Amino acid sequence: MKISIFRYDPERDSEGRMQDYEIEPEPHEAMLLDLILRLKGEDDTLTLRRSCREGVCGSDAININGRNGLACITPIRALGERAVLRPLPGFPVIRDLVVDMTQFFKQYVSIKPYVVDPGPMPDKERRQSPQARERLDGLYECILCACCTSMCPSYWWNPDKFVGPAGLLQAYRFLADSRDRDTKARLDDLDDVYRLFRCRTIMNCTEVCPKALAPSRAIERIRLMLAERAL
Amino acid sequence: MRSVLTGLRAWLVQRVTALYLLAFIIYFIAHFLFASPSDYDTWRSYAAQGDVKLLVLAGFVALLLHAWVGLRDVMLDYVKPISARAVALPLVAGALIAIGLWMLVTIAPLR
Ligand code: SF4
Ligand code: SF4
Ligand code: FES
Repeated sequence: MKISIFRYDPERDSEGRMQDYEIEPEPHEAMLLDLILRLKGEDDTLTLRRSCREGVCGSDAININGRNGLACITPIRALGERAVLRPLPGFPVIRDLVVDMTQFFKQYVSIKPYVVDPGPMPDKERRQSPQARERLDGLYECILCACCTSMCPSYWWNPDKFVGPAGLLQAYRFLADSRDRDTKARLDDLDDVYRLFRCRTIMNCTEVCPKALAPSRAIERIRLMLAERAL
Repeated sequence: MRSVLTGLRAWLVQRVTALYLLAFIIYFIAHFLFASPSDYDTWRSYAAQGDVKLLVLAGFVALLLHAWVGLRDVMLDYVKPISARAVALPLVAGALIAIGLWMLVTIAPLR
Protein backbone atom coordinates (compact mmCIF):
# COMPACT_ATOMS: atom_id res chain seq x y z
CA MET A 1 0.00 0.00 0.00
CA LYS A 2 1.01 3.63 -0.36
CA ILE A 3 1.57 5.93 2.59
CA SER A 4 2.11 9.68 2.11
CA ILE A 5 3.60 11.42 5.08
CA PHE A 6 3.98 15.12 5.71
CA ARG A 7 7.66 15.95 6.04
CA TYR A 8 9.11 19.14 7.41
CA ASP A 9 12.56 19.73 8.84
CA PRO A 10 12.87 23.31 10.10
CA GLU A 11 16.64 23.26 9.53
CA ARG A 12 16.43 22.27 5.89
CA ASP A 13 12.96 22.98 4.50
CA SER A 14 11.31 26.33 4.03
CA GLU A 15 7.95 24.58 3.88
CA GLY A 16 6.46 21.13 4.29
CA ARG A 17 6.08 18.53 1.55
CA MET A 18 4.43 15.14 1.22
CA GLN A 19 6.68 12.10 0.86
CA ASP A 20 5.33 8.85 -0.57
CA TYR A 21 6.33 5.44 0.73
CA GLU A 22 5.45 2.04 -0.72
CA ILE A 23 5.02 -0.57 2.02
CA GLU A 24 3.32 -3.94 2.30
CA PRO A 25 1.92 -4.79 5.74
CA GLU A 26 3.30 -8.01 7.18
CA PRO A 27 1.08 -10.52 8.97
CA HIS A 28 2.20 -9.46 12.44
CA GLU A 29 1.48 -5.79 11.74
CA ALA A 30 -2.07 -4.83 12.65
CA MET A 31 -1.99 -1.12 13.36
CA LEU A 32 -0.90 1.93 11.40
CA LEU A 33 1.78 2.72 14.00
CA ASP A 34 3.52 -0.58 13.18
CA LEU A 35 3.94 0.55 9.58
CA ILE A 36 5.15 4.03 10.51
CA LEU A 37 7.72 2.57 12.89
CA ARG A 38 9.00 0.20 10.18
CA LEU A 39 9.34 3.20 7.85
CA LYS A 40 11.22 5.03 10.57
CA GLY A 41 13.52 2.03 10.88
CA GLU A 42 14.42 2.49 7.21
CA ASP A 43 14.55 6.30 7.29
CA ASP A 44 15.43 7.52 10.76
CA THR A 45 14.89 11.19 9.90
CA LEU A 46 11.14 10.51 9.99
CA THR A 47 9.93 12.03 13.26
CA LEU A 48 6.86 11.27 15.34
CA ARG A 49 5.75 10.89 18.95
CA ARG A 50 4.58 7.62 20.39
CA SER A 51 4.92 5.77 23.62
CA CYS A 52 2.42 3.21 24.90
CA ARG A 53 1.44 1.87 21.44
CA GLU A 54 -1.94 0.83 22.83
CA GLY A 55 -4.09 3.93 23.01
CA VAL A 56 -3.49 5.02 26.59
CA CYS A 57 -0.78 7.68 26.48
CA GLY A 58 -2.28 9.93 23.80
CA SER A 59 1.05 10.87 22.26
CA ASP A 60 0.65 9.58 18.69
CA ALA A 61 -2.37 11.59 17.59
CA ILE A 62 -2.06 12.48 13.91
CA ASN A 63 -4.36 13.31 11.03
CA ILE A 64 -5.06 10.10 9.10
CA ASN A 65 -6.80 10.52 5.74
CA GLY A 66 -8.28 13.78 6.92
CA ARG A 67 -9.45 12.59 10.30
CA ASN A 68 -7.60 12.79 13.59
CA GLY A 69 -6.83 9.54 15.36
CA LEU A 70 -4.23 7.55 17.25
CA ALA A 71 -1.93 5.68 14.88
CA CYS A 72 -1.49 2.88 17.41
CA ILE A 73 -5.17 1.89 17.47
CA THR A 74 -6.00 2.57 13.83
CA PRO A 75 -6.21 -0.82 12.08
CA ILE A 76 -4.30 -1.03 8.81
CA ARG A 77 -7.28 -2.87 7.33
CA ALA A 78 -9.49 0.17 7.81
CA LEU A 79 -7.22 2.34 5.65
CA GLY A 80 -7.52 0.71 2.25
CA GLU A 81 -4.73 1.08 -0.29
CA ARG A 82 -3.60 4.57 0.59
CA ALA A 83 -3.04 6.53 3.75
CA VAL A 84 -2.25 10.24 3.95
CA LEU A 85 -0.69 11.23 7.26
CA ARG A 86 -0.38 14.78 8.45
CA PRO A 87 0.36 16.47 11.77
CA LEU A 88 -2.63 17.60 13.85
CA PRO A 89 -4.35 20.47 12.04
CA GLY A 90 -4.40 23.89 13.69
CA PHE A 91 -1.28 23.22 15.79
CA PRO A 92 2.15 24.63 14.89
CA VAL A 93 4.38 21.95 13.35
CA ILE A 94 7.75 21.38 14.98
CA ARG A 95 8.94 18.67 12.64
CA ASP A 96 7.25 16.04 10.44
CA LEU A 97 4.33 14.65 12.47
CA VAL A 98 5.31 16.36 15.72
CA VAL A 99 3.31 19.44 16.71
CA ASP A 100 3.72 22.06 19.41
CA MET A 101 1.11 21.40 22.11
CA THR A 102 2.02 24.34 24.36
CA GLN A 103 -1.18 26.28 23.71
CA PHE A 104 -3.30 23.16 24.14
CA PHE A 105 -1.84 22.46 27.57
CA LYS A 106 -2.07 26.12 28.56
CA GLN A 107 -5.79 25.90 27.97
CA TYR A 108 -5.92 22.66 29.93
CA VAL A 109 -4.10 24.19 32.90
CA SER A 110 -6.35 27.26 32.74
CA ILE A 111 -9.40 25.29 33.86
CA LYS A 112 -7.61 24.21 37.06
CA PRO A 113 -7.53 20.47 36.43
CA TYR A 114 -7.46 19.46 40.09
CA VAL A 115 -9.90 19.26 42.99
CA VAL A 116 -10.14 22.58 44.82
CA ASP A 117 -11.30 22.49 48.44
CA PRO A 118 -10.20 25.28 50.75
CA GLY A 119 -11.44 23.33 53.80
CA PRO A 120 -9.09 21.46 56.16
CA MET A 121 -7.24 18.48 54.76
CA PRO A 122 -8.95 15.23 55.73
CA ASP A 123 -6.86 12.76 57.74
CA LYS A 124 -6.70 10.13 55.06
CA GLU A 125 -8.52 10.84 51.83
CA ARG A 126 -11.39 12.77 50.30
CA ARG A 127 -14.20 10.29 50.23
CA GLN A 128 -16.73 9.92 47.48
CA SER A 129 -19.79 7.70 47.22
CA PRO A 130 -19.91 5.17 44.37
CA GLN A 131 -22.82 7.13 42.86
CA ALA A 132 -20.87 10.40 42.92
CA ARG A 133 -17.89 8.60 41.45
CA GLU A 134 -20.06 7.29 38.63
CA ARG A 135 -20.74 10.83 37.48
CA LEU A 136 -17.10 11.04 36.41
CA ASP A 137 -17.46 8.16 33.96
CA GLY A 138 -17.03 9.35 30.41
CA LEU A 139 -14.94 12.26 31.70
CA TYR A 140 -11.92 10.94 33.55
CA GLU A 141 -10.90 8.62 30.68
CA CYS A 142 -9.61 11.46 28.53
CA ILE A 143 -5.95 10.92 27.60
CA LEU A 144 -5.41 14.51 26.37
CA CYS A 145 -4.44 13.35 22.91
CA ALA A 146 -5.87 16.57 21.40
CA CYS A 147 -7.62 14.76 18.54
CA CYS A 148 -10.80 16.65 19.42
CA THR A 149 -9.37 20.13 19.97
CA SER A 150 -7.35 19.91 16.78
CA MET A 151 -10.50 19.09 14.76
CA CYS A 152 -12.50 21.96 16.25
CA PRO A 153 -12.91 24.94 13.90
CA SER A 154 -13.71 27.23 16.83
CA TYR A 155 -10.32 26.34 18.33
CA TRP A 156 -8.55 27.01 15.01
CA TRP A 157 -9.88 30.58 14.99
CA ASN A 158 -9.23 31.35 18.67
CA PRO A 159 -6.70 28.92 20.17
CA ASP A 160 -5.56 31.51 22.70
CA LYS A 161 -9.05 32.42 23.95
CA PHE A 162 -11.33 29.40 23.43
CA VAL A 163 -10.56 26.56 25.84
CA GLY A 164 -11.37 23.89 23.26
CA PRO A 165 -13.22 20.59 23.67
CA ALA A 166 -10.50 18.69 25.58
CA GLY A 167 -10.11 21.48 28.14
CA LEU A 168 -13.87 21.89 28.48
CA LEU A 169 -14.39 18.17 28.99
CA GLN A 170 -11.91 18.44 31.85
CA ALA A 171 -13.59 21.61 33.13
CA TYR A 172 -16.79 19.61 33.43
CA ARG A 173 -14.94 16.66 34.95
CA PHE A 174 -14.11 18.92 37.92
CA LEU A 175 -17.47 20.66 37.98
CA ALA A 176 -19.05 17.22 38.24
CA ASP A 177 -16.72 16.06 41.00
CA SER A 178 -18.50 15.85 44.37
CA ARG A 179 -15.22 16.65 46.18
CA ASP A 180 -14.65 19.94 44.42
CA ARG A 181 -15.78 23.16 46.15
CA ASP A 182 -14.88 25.65 43.46
CA THR A 183 -18.04 25.50 41.32
CA LYS A 184 -18.79 29.21 41.39
CA ALA A 185 -15.32 30.36 40.36
CA ARG A 186 -15.14 27.65 37.70
CA LEU A 187 -18.43 28.74 36.16
CA ASP A 188 -17.54 32.45 36.40
CA ASP A 189 -14.33 31.73 34.54
CA LEU A 190 -16.19 30.15 31.61
CA ASP A 191 -19.02 32.67 31.36
CA ASP A 192 -17.64 35.11 28.78
CA VAL A 193 -17.79 35.36 24.98
CA TYR A 194 -14.72 33.23 24.33
CA ARG A 195 -13.79 30.51 26.80
CA LEU A 196 -16.85 28.30 26.44
CA PHE A 197 -19.24 30.11 24.15
CA ARG A 198 -17.05 29.99 21.05
CA CYS A 199 -18.36 26.42 20.77
CA ARG A 200 -20.98 26.22 18.02
CA THR A 201 -21.92 22.62 18.63
CA ILE A 202 -20.21 21.54 15.42
CA MET A 203 -19.59 18.21 17.20
CA ASN A 204 -16.36 17.33 15.38
CA CYS A 205 -14.91 16.71 18.82
CA THR A 206 -17.30 13.95 19.79
CA GLU A 207 -17.20 12.49 16.30
CA VAL A 208 -13.43 12.10 16.36
CA CYS A 209 -12.51 11.17 19.96
CA PRO A 210 -10.57 7.88 19.83
CA LYS A 211 -11.70 7.07 23.37
CA ALA A 212 -15.37 7.52 22.38
CA LEU A 213 -15.86 10.38 24.84
CA ALA A 214 -18.28 13.23 24.18
CA PRO A 215 -16.78 16.68 24.81
CA SER A 216 -19.80 18.32 23.16
CA ARG A 217 -22.08 16.71 25.75
CA ALA A 218 -19.87 17.97 28.57
CA ILE A 219 -20.04 21.45 27.05
CA GLU A 220 -23.83 21.18 26.96
CA ARG A 221 -23.83 20.22 30.64
CA ILE A 222 -21.73 23.24 31.56
CA ARG A 223 -24.17 25.47 29.67
CA LEU A 224 -26.98 23.87 31.62
CA MET A 225 -25.18 24.50 34.91
CA LEU A 226 -24.72 28.13 33.91
CA ALA A 227 -28.36 28.41 32.91
CA GLU A 228 -29.62 26.79 36.11
CA ARG A 229 -27.52 29.14 38.15
CA ALA A 230 -28.81 32.19 36.27
CA LEU A 231 -32.51 31.29 36.31
CA MET B 1 -14.24 44.57 28.71
CA ARG B 2 -17.42 42.83 29.69
CA SER B 3 -20.46 43.73 27.67
CA VAL B 4 -24.01 43.20 28.86
CA LEU B 5 -24.64 40.62 26.19
CA THR B 6 -21.95 38.05 26.86
CA GLY B 7 -21.43 34.43 27.80
CA LEU B 8 -24.54 32.64 28.88
CA ARG B 9 -26.79 35.65 28.47
CA ALA B 10 -25.90 36.12 24.80
CA TRP B 11 -26.37 32.42 24.23
CA LEU B 12 -29.78 32.39 25.90
CA VAL B 13 -30.89 35.52 24.07
CA GLN B 14 -30.02 33.87 20.80
CA ARG B 15 -32.04 30.71 21.62
CA VAL B 16 -35.05 32.56 23.00
CA THR B 17 -35.23 35.02 20.09
CA ALA B 18 -34.87 32.10 17.67
CA LEU B 19 -37.93 30.46 19.24
CA TYR B 20 -39.92 33.68 19.10
CA LEU B 21 -38.98 34.22 15.46
CA LEU B 22 -39.95 30.68 14.59
CA ALA B 23 -43.40 31.11 16.16
CA PHE B 24 -43.68 34.56 14.57
CA ILE B 25 -42.91 33.28 11.08
CA ILE B 26 -45.25 30.31 11.41
CA TYR B 27 -48.03 32.61 12.62
CA PHE B 28 -47.62 34.97 9.67
CA ILE B 29 -47.39 32.19 7.10
CA ALA B 30 -50.56 30.71 8.56
CA HIS B 31 -52.25 34.12 8.55
CA PHE B 32 -51.44 34.64 4.89
CA LEU B 33 -52.50 31.12 3.95
CA PHE B 34 -55.83 31.05 5.79
CA ALA B 35 -56.85 34.68 6.23
CA SER B 36 -55.03 36.35 3.41
CA PRO B 37 -55.92 40.08 3.31
CA SER B 38 -57.80 40.80 0.08
CA ASP B 39 -56.42 44.30 -0.50
CA TYR B 40 -54.03 46.87 0.84
CA ASP B 41 -56.57 48.52 3.15
CA THR B 42 -57.50 45.30 4.92
CA TRP B 43 -53.80 44.53 5.28
CA ARG B 44 -53.17 47.99 6.67
CA SER B 45 -55.97 47.94 9.18
CA TYR B 46 -54.90 44.47 10.24
CA ALA B 47 -51.35 45.68 10.79
CA ALA B 48 -52.56 48.73 12.71
CA GLN B 49 -54.24 46.64 15.43
CA GLY B 50 -52.57 47.12 18.79
CA ASP B 51 -51.66 43.48 19.43
CA VAL B 52 -50.42 42.90 15.88
CA LYS B 53 -48.23 45.97 16.18
CA LEU B 54 -46.82 44.66 19.42
CA LEU B 55 -46.18 41.25 17.85
CA VAL B 56 -44.33 42.81 14.94
CA LEU B 57 -42.29 45.19 17.06
CA ALA B 58 -41.31 42.38 19.40
CA GLY B 59 -40.47 40.34 16.31
CA PHE B 60 -38.11 43.03 15.14
CA VAL B 61 -36.47 43.41 18.51
CA ALA B 62 -35.95 39.63 18.51
CA LEU B 63 -34.60 39.70 14.98
CA LEU B 64 -32.14 42.49 15.72
CA LEU B 65 -30.87 40.92 18.95
CA HIS B 66 -30.55 37.58 17.20
CA ALA B 67 -28.67 39.17 14.31
CA TRP B 68 -26.38 41.06 16.67
CA VAL B 69 -25.30 38.00 18.66
CA GLY B 70 -24.84 35.98 15.47
CA LEU B 71 -22.93 38.62 13.51
CA ARG B 72 -20.76 39.45 16.49
CA ASP B 73 -19.90 35.75 16.82
CA VAL B 74 -18.82 35.66 13.19
CA MET B 75 -16.75 38.81 13.62
CA LEU B 76 -15.05 37.53 16.78
CA ASP B 77 -14.01 34.44 14.81
CA TYR B 78 -12.92 35.97 11.54
CA VAL B 79 -12.13 39.66 12.05
CA LYS B 80 -8.83 39.39 13.90
CA PRO B 81 -7.12 42.79 13.87
CA ILE B 82 -8.40 45.01 16.65
CA SER B 83 -8.49 48.02 14.31
CA ALA B 84 -10.76 46.19 11.83
CA ARG B 85 -12.97 45.12 14.69
CA ALA B 86 -13.19 48.64 16.02
CA VAL B 87 -14.71 49.57 12.67
CA ALA B 88 -16.78 46.47 11.92
CA LEU B 89 -18.54 46.08 15.27
CA PRO B 90 -19.92 49.66 15.56
CA LEU B 91 -20.79 49.60 11.86
CA VAL B 92 -22.95 46.50 12.26
CA ALA B 93 -24.41 47.71 15.54
CA GLY B 94 -25.23 51.06 13.93
CA ALA B 95 -26.89 49.41 10.94
CA LEU B 96 -29.02 47.19 13.20
CA ILE B 97 -30.07 50.13 15.35
CA ALA B 98 -30.97 52.10 12.22
CA ILE B 99 -33.16 49.24 11.00
CA GLY B 100 -34.80 49.11 14.42
CA LEU B 101 -35.53 52.84 14.44
CA TRP B 102 -36.86 52.71 10.90
CA MET B 103 -39.23 49.92 11.92
CA LEU B 104 -40.33 51.87 14.95
CA VAL B 105 -41.19 55.05 13.04
CA THR B 106 -42.95 53.00 10.36
CA ILE B 107 -45.05 50.77 12.57
CA ALA B 108 -45.75 52.79 15.69
CA PRO B 109 -47.80 55.57 14.03
CA LEU B 110 -49.98 53.09 12.04
CA ARG B 111 -53.67 53.45 12.83
S1 SF4 C 1 -11.67 14.04 24.73
FE1 SF4 C 1 -11.00 12.34 23.49
S2 SF4 C 1 -10.08 13.27 21.67
FE2 SF4 C 1 -10.23 14.84 23.23
S3 SF4 C 1 -8.24 14.82 24.22
FE3 SF4 C 1 -9.61 13.52 25.41
S4 SF4 C 1 -9.30 11.47 24.61
FE4 SF4 C 1 -8.42 12.88 23.13
S1 SF4 D 1 -18.92 20.91 19.54
FE1 SF4 D 1 -17.85 22.76 20.17
S2 SF4 D 1 -15.95 22.08 20.99
FE2 SF4 D 1 -16.79 20.37 19.80
S3 SF4 D 1 -15.84 20.60 17.79
FE3 SF4 D 1 -17.75 21.70 17.83
S4 SF4 D 1 -17.28 23.82 18.29
FE4 SF4 D 1 -15.56 22.53 18.87
S1 FES E 1 1.22 5.43 21.38
FE1 FES E 1 0.15 5.87 23.21
S2 FES E 1 -1.81 6.38 22.47
FE2 FES E 1 -0.83 5.71 20.68
